[in-house]
Amino acid sequence: MSNKSSINWFKLNRNLHRDIGYFCVGLVIIFAVSGIAVNHKDDWNPNYKVSHQQISVSDETWQLDNDELLIEQIISHADVSEPVKASYWVSPQEFKVFLKNGNNLSLKLNKDIINYEAIEPRHVFQAFNRLHLNETNASWVIFSDIFAGLLLFLAISGLFMIKGKNSPWGSRSVLVISGMLLPAAYVFL
Amino acid sequence: MFLKSKTFIAFSLALLSFSQHAFSLQFGNPVDSDKLIKISTVMASPDDYLASPITVEGTITGVCEKRGCWMTLASDKRFENLRIKVEDGDMVFPMTAKGSKAIVTGKLDKIQLSLGRTKALLDHKAQQAGESFDANSVTEAMAIYQLVPSGVEIIE
Repeated sequence: MSNKSSINWFKLNRNLHRDIGYFCVGLVIIFAVSGIAVNHKDDWNPNYKVSHQQISVSDETWQLDNDELLIEQIISHADVSEPVKASYWVSPQEFKVFLKNGNNLSLKLNKDIINYEAIEPRHVFQAFNRLHLNETNASWVIFSDIFAGLLLFLAISGLFMIKGKNSPWGSRSVLVISGMLLPAAYVFL
Repeated sequence: MFLKSKTFIAFSLALLSFSQHAFSLQFGNPVDSDKLIKISTVMASPDDYLASPITVEGTITGVCEKRGCWMTLASDKRFENLRIKVEDGDMVFPMTAKGSKAIVTGKLDKIQLSLGRTKALLDHKAQQAGESFDANSVTEAMAIYQLVPSGVEIIE
């Protein structure tokens, strides 16, 4: 009489690792790309492409007592056709005109320049970052917790997928230990 | 075929009617218009408004570029504004909202600066405005005020 289990744990582990791995492909890409983007947010803006163009406007008599006329003057100098959303005096030396498309113009009287700020959303990165930083809704938090659990399963099940000389319990344990020691080194050194 | 065309036309009209309305973005709880007060009134005596929530409205003049974690609202008084500040990720204000109107309900927060930080802040503001600044002219520490919102509505 044999006590051998009818479940082949090795095969089950491999199959689960494979299928959960397939399921996680999209999420891993989103979190990895967004992670790189957020890591480097001091070097570049992952959510918007912001560009500035300076227009020199010396020798101009500005209509400082009439905001509507002043806006017309600024628009004419900048040669933009976009409708105006609002305007604002930042200081006695700076007047801003906001355009409907989200861009804006700043007249800097003390520097004789108009600064044209163009704002272009990076839609894909924005969406990735919203998901990564849990800026969507509470249900996403639950889903991303489950995803974290799946990643833990992938990590642990990965240790039991290969038998023999290439298993992580032989000489290749160096790779496993290195992967644990490296983050520890950053914390303690 | 006729039914499909009618459905398409009805859908297009609905879409057109939607696009013609000013849309608004809502963050957090609904704003409380009953508590509406002018920014200039608040800034004239901010300590009077620290105790309970207030609602203010104004044109959005600046937004945090990287995280959308703050925005500034223009006051009804020239050259004055009020910063709306949230914890990173609590609300994310879009940069393209600059120039739109915002209505914000929240609690006014007072941050007392040291003399050194006061000088640094005024120096930074002067640099931004392209003006000269003499740090020795500042002898008293100042406080800054910002609104921590519970609800924000941005109207395009």
